[in-house]
Amino acid sequence: MAYVIGANCIDELDRSCIEVCPVDCIYIGERRSYINPSECIDCGACEVECPVDAVFVDRKARKDPALAEFVEDSVAFFALPLPGQSDALGDPGGFQKLGPVGVDTEFTANYSA
Amino acid sequence: MTAQPSVVTTDVVVVGAGPTGLYGAYYAGFRGLSTVVVDALPQPGGQVMALYPEKQIRDVAALPSIRGRDFVANLVEQADAFHPTYLLGRQATTLTHDDGLPVLTLDDGTVVRAGAVVVTAGIGTPTPRPLETGGEWLGTRLSYFVTDPSRHAGQDVVIVGGGDSALDWADALASIARSVTLVHRRAAFRGHAATLERVRSGNAAIHTDTEILGLIGDLDSGTLQKVALKSKNGDETVIAADHVIAALGFISELGPLREWGLELSGRSIAVDRAGRTNLPRVYAAGDVTDYPGKVKLMSVGFGEVAIAMNHVAVDLDPDLVLFPGHSTDAA
Repeated sequence: MAYVIGANCIDELDRSCIEVCPVDCIYIGERRSYINPSECIDCGACEVECPVDAVFVDRKARKDPALAEFVEDSVAFFALPLPGQSDALGDPGGFQKLGPVGVDTEFTANYSA
Repeated sequence: MTAQPSVVTTDVVVVGAGPTGLYGAYYAGFRGLSTVVVDALPQPGGQVMALYPEKQIRDVAALPSIRGRDFVANLVEQADAFHPTYLLGRQATTLTHDDGLPVLTLDDGTVVRAGAVVVTAGIGTPTPRPLETGGEWLGTRLSYFVTDPSRHAGQDVVIVGGGDSALDWADALASIARSVTLVHRRAAFRGHAATLERVRSGNAAIHTDTEILGLIGDLDSGTLQKVALKSKNGDETVIAADHVIAALGFISELGPLREWGLELSGRSIAVDRAGRTNLPRVYAAGDVTDYPGKVKLMSVGFGEVAIAMNHVAVDLDPDLVLFPGHSTDAA
């Protein structure tokens, strides 16, 4: 179980979620932020904080293909090598340590609403 | 709280005063064990109090719906039947063994000698989220807490943050400091509306949609003079400042217990079905633990810590039986 950041974050990147995440598991790509699903503790602090309502809990995506795409994309951001990188990010153990990743998944990079 | 002696001896020490730890304190008492409860935060309740004190909890047996704050108060009341000793606002830093028995040291120097340790540390130790700039002033002119408001008497104080701590401190320092400036990166504050109202109606200058650009002063002499601010629309302002308090919330990680020699599983402690870790007389329960099939819920933590405490009881007195009897039999 985890929270997921969806389409509304793209090119918005407000970072309010990052400020309230108690385990620092929200990472910045280029156009949007991504919650690491295995580091997320499912507390929901980010969901209420997001000014553009981009955050949802993954359970909501079961009946909503538009959300499901972002669940899958959020897993891929960490599990698969990002464009131009040879290794997957994995579970970095905190955004503060890692800093902005500066690159998105192909799905997010090419996303248009 | 009265001053605690620097060496505390107890049957069991519980590390973490969240729901699982508090119920563990009850359960240890029910088994006749003396109990010490340690937590890095100044209040019991763990994540419930830190993250959602006002939210309704609906997934704990026999409680159809209860506010987080009340839920924690109930757990404390339940444990109080057996008078546990709370050592709050103190972090457990090292764990060693002396003649097979655990010795826990806290960051204030307190030593807890126990028959057993039960680690109920949840998501771990909360550490203050650092300010993005000005780290070189930390400990002199930059701090993450207000421990003694009078220290800021006559100062120009800049408080950064938008939550309850930032608002509480802005409110508390209003009558003590020469000036209080509250700086928040966003337009809206997260803290209690009533406190915000008090801060707004007081003398504090409030800069929203504004970030800290830098701390300006003479580092060698430890004299901070100014803080540079930058607003969302690009405007830069410099204000007088003697001290900056960054109240940006907490980030939790396992922290010192990573070094205790416990077998870990990612961010969790590996345990068996009794809650035993790989270390003698050291158990763990609740969200901090992992085993195949684990589900991280309070309901599960309560069961786990009850199991662990029954095993602790038998460890400490092998004449006891594992099954505790029923609480309904007690007078």
